[in-house]
Amino acid sequence: MELIAVEKPASYPDKERGERLNQQLRDKAKELLERGAVECVIGYERATDGSSARPFFVYQPEEVDRLIFDQTCTHNLVKYLLNKKDKTTAVVVKPCDSRALNLLLNEKQIQRDKVFIVGVVCPGIVETGWNQVSQTLQGRCQRCRQHTPLVYDFLVGEPPAEEAPPAEAYADVAEIEAKPLAERQTFWDEQSKRCIRCYACRQVCPGCYCSECFVEQLQPPWVGIKIAPPENNMWQTIRAFHLAGRCSGCNECERVCPMDIPLSLLNRKLEKEVWELFEFQAGLSAETVPPFATFKKEETLGIGE
Amino acid sequence: MSPENPFVPYLATVKNVVTLTPDIKLLGLELDDPTVRDNFSYKAGQFAVLSAFGVGEAPFCLASVSHPKGELEFAVRRIGTVTSSLQELEPEAAVGVRGPFGNCFPLDDNKGQNIFIIGGGIGMAPLRPVINTILRNRDDYGHLLIINGARTPQDLVFQAEFDIWASSPRTQLELTVDRGHDGWKGRVALVPAVIAELNPSPENTVAITCGPPIMIRFTLQELRKLGFQDNQIITTLEMKMKCGLGKCARCNVGDMYVCKDGPVFTCEQISKFIEQF
Amino acid sequence: MTQTISRRNLLSWLGRLLEERLLIAPTHTTGPILFQPVSKIEDIVLDFDNTALSAKEWFFPATETLFWAETTDGRTELVPATVEREAVVFGIRPCDAKGLALVDKAFLAEPADTLYQQHRDKAVLVGLSCRKASPQCFCTSMGTAPNDPTHVDILLTEVEEDYIVQIVTEKGKALLPDNLLLESKVVPPPPPSPPVVSAEGIEEVMRQAFDSPYWSRLADRCVHCNLCAYVCPTCYCFDIRDYESKGKIERVRSWESCQSPGFTRQAGGYNPRASKGARLRQRFYHKLLYFPEDFGAIACAGCGRCVQVCPVNIDIREVIADIQTIGGRNVP
Repeated sequence: MELIAVEKPASYPDKERGERLNQQLRDKAKELLERGAVECVIGYERATDGSSARPFFVYQPEEVDRLIFDQTCTHNLVKYLLNKKDKTTAVVVKPCDSRALNLLLNEKQIQRDKVFIVGVVCPGIVETGWNQVSQTLQGRCQRCRQHTPLVYDFLVGEPPAEEAPPAEAYADVAEIEAKPLAERQTFWDEQSKRCIRCYACRQVCPGCYCSECFVEQLQPPWVGIKIAPPENNMWQTIRAFHLAGRCSGCNECERVCPMDIPLSLLNRKLEKEVWELFEFQAGLSAETVPPFATFKKEETLGIGE
Repeated sequence: MSPENPFVPYLATVKNVVTLTPDIKLLGLELDDPTVRDNFSYKAGQFAVLSAFGVGEAPFCLASVSHPKGELEFAVRRIGTVTSSLQELEPEAAVGVRGPFGNCFPLDDNKGQNIFIIGGGIGMAPLRPVINTILRNRDDYGHLLIINGARTPQDLVFQAEFDIWASSPRTQLELTVDRGHDGWKGRVALVPAVIAELNPSPENTVAITCGPPIMIRFTLQELRKLGFQDNQIITTLEMKMKCGLGKCARCNVGDMYVCKDGPVFTCEQISKFIEQF
Repeated sequence: MTQTISRRNLLSWLGRLLEERLLIAPTHTTGPILFQPVSKIEDIVLDFDNTALSAKEWFFPATETLFWAETTDGRTELVPATVEREAVVFGIRPCDAKGLALVDKAFLAEPADTLYQQHRDKAVLVGLSCRKASPQCFCTSMGTAPNDPTHVDILLTEVEEDYIVQIVTEKGKALLPDNLLLESKVVPPPPPSPPVVSAEGIEEVMRQAFDSPYWSRLADRCVHCNLCAYVCPTCYCFDIRDYESKGKIERVRSWESCQSPGFTRQAGGYNPRASKGARLRQRFYHKLLYFPEDFGAIACAGCGRCVQVCPVNIDIREVIADIQTIGGRNVP
């Protein structure tokens, strides 16, 4: 997949703006903690490589100066809310993360009044890993159509004066779709050969929260424990199907995969199908029920017509 | 196990299946290979890993006393896939056995002492060979006091042996249940309360207990209140296991591996555990 | 005087080896560089930092069949798996070799894990010294070094166009013919110096720190995937399950890690290590306290792969430094 290098990402043209945003963020976190409005603020801090970011849980007002927000803040922090269900928590969300939040609100996994949402106007996140921060925007950010979160209690950052037009949403998906079946089979077999079933993709995904994942069920054994291509294929495909109509497109699954498997292709293929069939995109609001969680009598799927 | 591979079980055949309670059955197995059978010897407290081929393996303490001509007996409680599968076996079915693994109750060290046995539910399984070893060597041990507890009267384990135990010399058997029913004339009390009620002296006595973790925790408290020292209290622990031989690093409580440092531990050892079980 | 081999001779020797044995070497894939069997010499990558997965997977595979059970006419027969092929693992870094030596302590202890032993016995390790340290490396703090020959059969050190050859074991000597070697006056280059992590006295401070709230704070951001354990050269936890297909039963073991939520969950639901903090703590305690108590060494080779791959930057070097501080030891 060819990435387009963007020299000047939208919305953070200057250091000053970034510093203003960071100060707003820290001030808000401090205020929330000092007045006991929340038990914890989940945000980001600098990682041990001195250049990338990592999630940071702030419990004391004195710690807020460690909070940062910049173009290395790739993680989707919404998942952590599922570990904090009995507490009131503030969480820093980018637009893609806010879509995941809407999903969890809709699926009744978190309560709106237990979350204080600090939305960040996002300039796009760069390709980043430990000790590897690039200047190139991540693919999902190049395709991104929303720089402001969809739901928030407090907004930090300023919406951009002008935005670069987003990259085509499904160019890479269409490329695979255009290949003949045998080539597609070969492509995906190559990917599943490398999968080591670390489940990092599942663990970082806000949509994956089953207390017992299908892949761990013994009865019936849907997928075995063998770390081998047929089982790996099943694992990746079924997970993608479980996320159809639910995936927020944060792409963390692909970023964390140690074997560079292009997982977002699977998720976005299904996202494309869901859009074409139901004109539905996940996470735009906490009210709209995803297609596979509802049934309308008048539904047709274009099959047999 | 095959000497080529400690993960390959000995083949054995089910000879006997006896229903003990609504969810517990006693399986009697005979090892197929006569040489293996003659050399398979074990002590009370040790366990074996049984295979329900096609389903999986699980560890079970040996509930019988070791004898070259004897069956290997295991009390199996139906709780998951392997135990359910083992419970469905009928005589002549094939199973796998790996073992014996683990350490044992130090019964030789306890000769001349009074023995106080406290068992809850399926926890009676490793205690049964302790009782039977004592009964077969009756003069080597002092007074034997047994508390056998269960959730309800029908869940009491080894009911068919109660008369034999109770009628042995210098032996006292006390039964108790958490909840009785109309026909139950016996005691209704939690095991730790029964310990307090019976108030046995710790003098020259060793307490051996096995049961659910919560029962063990409260039993240890009660025994300490009565003056039992930590080195006078012995128990067995269980953790989820896979290999049973100290390779898969799963069954540890802190730095103690239940499969090779246990399953038998003294309270003195447990008091030094850094992790909770 | 040192012995050297030219790059040309090295490649032609490897070319001959791959005709007789399984030759495993670092290769490009559509993803990262991994140890894979090679069918042609051109596939071997000589210029790399380290592979994404350690060489451990060729001795303790991610998935391995333990035995097959076949039932015919009511009679069951068990057929153990065996390792048949002789192998050469080329390009293994000293940290990965140290990792194997650490896994040996657990797997070869009585009763020995016979499949692992067969893999080890049938493989010859041809190591490659590191000419530079990466930011995540800390091998010298974990009892090895970028040019440590201790745990390989042959160690090669790149110097200009050639390689200095150290034959370490009889196995190595038998594999590499003398006539390919040249006597040389070239001096081995100084090895790189990775940053130091002071793990001295860590066992004692770990013992004191078990109940510290540090572990659940650290675990806040842990997502409990299995990445750190799977890329690690020294982690060895596994799961065992049976598979049934066409009347044959296969008992298989696969990698698992203490981080997975159901690792200690018993049938019936009881889970003594249910909390995130307890699970994350187990990883560090196994490496820094329990393994040293049982086997006399920290279960870490300093390769830094866990540092690189952790999605949330749980960094063992930071953890060691933090624990030293909690224990009141002021270490640099």
